[in-house]
Amino acid sequence: MSPDNLDIQNSLDKDLIASVTDLKVYFESKQGMVHSVDGVSFDIVDGEMMGLVGETGCGKSVTARTFMQLVQSPPGVLAGGNIKFRSKNIKNGSQVIDLLDLSENQIRELRGERIAMIFQDPGKALNPGLTIRTQVAEVFQEHRENDVLEKAGLKNKLSGVTEYFVKKYIKQEAGFLVTTLLKIPPLSTYKKKIDSGINRLVAEALEETQIPNPTKVMERYPHELSGGMKQRVMIAQAIACNPDLLIADEPTTALDVTVQARVLDLIKELQKRHKTSVLYISHDLSLVRRICDRIAVMYAGQIVETGDAETIFNQPKHPYTQGLINALPSMSHERGKLEAIEGIVPELIEPEPGCRFVSRCMRRKANCEEIDPKLKPISEVDKSHKVACLLYEA
Amino acid sequence: MKKNAQNAGIDEVNFNDSAFKVRLKRNLEILSNVLANPTTVLGLIVVIFMLAMAIFAPVITEPNTPDPYQMPRDWKAARSAPLTPGHILGTTNRGGDVFYGVVWGARTSLKLSILVVTLTVVLGVVIGSVAGIVGGKVDEILMRIVDVFLSIPELIFALAIAAILGPSFTNIILALVIVFWVKYARIMRAQVIRIKQREYVDAAKIMGASKLQIYLKDILPNSFSPVMVQATLDMGNIVLVGATLSFIGLSEAGIAEWGVLVSEGQAGISAGRWWASTFPGLMVFLWALAFNLVGDGLRDVLDPRTETKR
Amino acid sequence: MSNSKNTILSLRNVKKHFPIKEGVFQNVVGQVHAVDGVSFDIGAGETVGLVGESGCGKTTIGRCVSGLEPLTNGDIFFDLTPEKLLALEDFEKHQSEIKNKHLIDEIQSTSNISKIEGDDFYNYRRNCQMVFQDSFSSLSPRQLVSDIVSRPLKIHKVCADNELIPRTIELLEQVGLGKQHLYRFPHQFSGGQRQRISIARALALDPKLIVLDEPTSALDVSVQAQILNLLHDLQKQRGLSYLFITHNLSVIRHMADKIVVMYLGKVVEAGKTEDIFSNPQHPYTKALLAASPDLSEDVMSDMAALDGPIPDPARPPQGCSFRTRCPVSRTECGWEVDDIIRRLEHHETLIDSIKSVHQPDAFNAKLTFETSLSAIELKDVIGTNDIPKQMRKAIKKIEVDGNDVNISFDPVQTVPLVQSDNGSLSRCVLANK
Repeated sequence: MSPDNLDIQNSLDKDLIASVTDLKVYFESKQGMVHSVDGVSFDIVDGEMMGLVGETGCGKSVTARTFMQLVQSPPGVLAGGNIKFRSKNIKNGSQVIDLLDLSENQIRELRGERIAMIFQDPGKALNPGLTIRTQVAEVFQEHRENDVLEKAGLKNKLSGVTEYFVKKYIKQEAGFLVTTLLKIPPLSTYKKKIDSGINRLVAEALEETQIPNPTKVMERYPHELSGGMKQRVMIAQAIACNPDLLIADEPTTALDVTVQARVLDLIKELQKRHKTSVLYISHDLSLVRRICDRIAVMYAGQIVETGDAETIFNQPKHPYTQGLINALPSMSHERGKLEAIEGIVPELIEPEPGCRFVSRCMRRKANCEEIDPKLKPISEVDKSHKVACLLYEA
Repeated sequence: MKKNAQNAGIDEVNFNDSAFKVRLKRNLEILSNVLANPTTVLGLIVVIFMLAMAIFAPVITEPNTPDPYQMPRDWKAARSAPLTPGHILGTTNRGGDVFYGVVWGARTSLKLSILVVTLTVVLGVVIGSVAGIVGGKVDEILMRIVDVFLSIPELIFALAIAAILGPSFTNIILALVIVFWVKYARIMRAQVIRIKQREYVDAAKIMGASKLQIYLKDILPNSFSPVMVQATLDMGNIVLVGATLSFIGLSEAGIAEWGVLVSEGQAGISAGRWWASTFPGLMVFLWALAFNLVGDGLRDVLDPRTETKR
Repeated sequence: MSNSKNTILSLRNVKKHFPIKEGVFQNVVGQVHAVDGVSFDIGAGETVGLVGESGCGKTTIGRCVSGLEPLTNGDIFFDLTPEKLLALEDFEKHQSEIKNKHLIDEIQSTSNISKIEGDDFYNYRRNCQMVFQDSFSSLSPRQLVSDIVSRPLKIHKVCADNELIPRTIELLEQVGLGKQHLYRFPHQFSGGQRQRISIARALALDPKLIVLDEPTSALDVSVQAQILNLLHDLQKQRGLSYLFITHNLSVIRHMADKIVVMYLGKVVEAGKTEDIFSNPQHPYTKALLAASPDLSEDVMSDMAALDGPIPDPARPPQGCSFRTRCPVSRTECGWEVDDIIRRLEHHETLIDSIKSVHQPDAFNAKLTFETSLSAIELKDVIGTNDIPKQMRKAIKKIEVDGNDVNISFDPVQTVPLVQSDNGSLSRCVLANK
């Protein structure tokens, strides 16, 4: 990483792992610019599980993908803001970088190594043509050269050309010549050792996600595994390098409830064991409340409320959060009397100023249509609970 | 109201709408999407030019009597170069007027392609639909037949059939129909199988719609776009293959057809009389290119993937 | 149950098996037991919730009820008066001594939806409609809303041509849309609005029963609440019966009068909603409830998770089908030889060294190994804690004979659905006592 990234090092609070400031991601369309993410700011505290909650199209997934520079461009346009991220466990200690400033190569080094992601549909995120072994091994081969050497029992035992060849082989950059050379003794013994070393690393990673019989599962193809199992493989792949930040984009939505419970337990357990920070994205508020420490609620490209999971759930302030919680069918509702939020989500094409929720809000005031509400702490005492609503602005 | 502005396009009240107007608007929208692509527009212009030439052929040049599709022979002016008075594109070494051949060749090509495309589409859609809807053994047998047809290269297959049937323009049409229907059967079958699993087909069944109604209202309209795209592409391809067959001499001699004309002129090329082959050859090339451009443009707009999910 | 109302739908031992075909000649090599002997009733004006995880057969039941799939076995009766239901129940209990044969014949010929034909079936079509989960796929993209909603009216010639549009507008207004939406294409609407169009279409023929197959699963919570309220209001106004199929327990608790919980094609528990939620009897129901994060008010309580995968429905376990994942399994749950194979997953080398399996029935088998060592190892493994204690106890005999291992279990019959203390039916050996 280039040294000019170091000058913003001090701008991230000590206890934070990442901080998103005024992030704006737009999409070009025929009708105009779609403001999918429009001024989103939030922090992720080191070691915490942060929930990002919202309904379809609110921009939560786009926000998550921006962390990894995975937003397709065009049509995606990065219109502003920054994502500061503390990259730990690298050679020269920890370092704060702006994820949006990184070049393609720099972000590739970070992906899978310091930031990992789990997707909603494990069936689509895994390559159907490769075995589980190959796919999990890729992470190690790309980022964990030394671990592979150590497992193979070759660490500090190689030198010169041999070392160069073997490292090429690990990195999967070996050309025809190197591949051929590695097939004949004495180099072939190294190849065997490396292969078995990688196998052991993969098996350990799978074992950690409680996959029974890892050496057998390794040789299978994704379609031979159940949905829950595939999601575990995804998780194994994601945590293989012990990343600082794990982004989980609705990882259990495609799963049955009993399987979902298992996978959630697993994520929670791994998060505690490795002290990984997690950004958990979901549409399901009650699920996020169960597993997350803090929650940010998104609506129409903006964060409307953020705070402790319990506070948000028990004392929601923003009318949208309140609506969302009340719309859940619960014991207290008489049948047919659910408190639905009427109306539909507004189009985000070149939105006018004013609160995005105003057309559906039951408590709107006269100037809600004109003034953009800012995300502000609700009281002097509790600085962590912030809400973007004119009702709470003095 | 702010609310109306935000939900524009769906909640704005417009009582003057009628089903006809909405459909028209949608079709115009599709058309405007097609026209948004410059290469498609280019193709379309050439297509329109070709069609105009075919339709107004009797106006552009005096029809030959008694059969206008036969080349007029002006033996005295044989082997004239282009821009000779009365023979603007020159003549062949047998005195055929190249301009007449080019213009009436467009008419022949139009006749050929429209006949072949109509017949193949009908045949292919019927067989493909039967295979897709009935399924089971019927499907299996029909598709194996299709496989056999597809295993032989298009041109060679058409050539063989036309050769067996004997040299005539009608036989070229017949040969092309026999070769080209299989593609439509394949496409249609795949589409029908895909569409019949859609829940709106189930919904129609639950309503009590008859099988024919479901086929005509739900399955056919929703599976037709790829067939249409293929038909447009084939409008061009068929003329290309047809001209090849004619060139080899599988249609009647002396007919005003581009392939025939190219073959008639080829003997003169080495002697420097380039025009008799070049102009009709260029026409074949332009015709095939233009329809392919339009077909590609249609595919981009009508592609089922961009259509069902916005 | 008060018997003054008609029973709109009565499923009697419904079975639906799908053949597994293989090879060029499409030979049937097995049967997937998608639905395996399901019985329940839906009363007039009642909502019955069908709950279970994916692959439990709930959607197949919906498709059978709406006539999209023919039954493999069993009967579905439509619109039975209390007398008819009683006669039917009586007939099932005493097959040999038929008391009122003509009534049974009448029921069979007029109410059994797999036997009625022609006009009667056409009539059933009018009375049973369906709303699908995916509103994108359930509305034809090339038809206008006016065509979609008025189509059932046209098919059944319910009203004159000039009344068609006013009637369609009326239907749209009932679902919260209006005449401004008449001439639009489905893709111009949001998910919730499209689901409203589906509901309007289902209402067009004034049916008595609507099958709702996950109607809100694809919707956001705020929109889901709108649709659930709408469904409830329509039910009140029109006296509709619903068969509500879903995997979402908080939705079903809100909507259903009665609940049927399914697992692997079988009903494991059925009863009144309050009873099932306040006092679930079957361990599977308990696990489902515990795993749903939006049900429990206590945030800190653990989400109970189940071990292991759902068994292959082509070879469903005999006895209690849930025992392979059950946290409270017993000796008498009906353990069989297949369970040993299922449990051997952790011992791959053992599985690999099995040469042949000779299995005269589900409870007796002779496993032949490549070496006698493996045979002994198997016996040892069965002695360890990798195998549930209850299962070990159920093994009647295990003998090593050279390379062979003979195993036999006590044969146990299929666990019946029995009435438990709270009035609900439960299929569990624990409730049997």
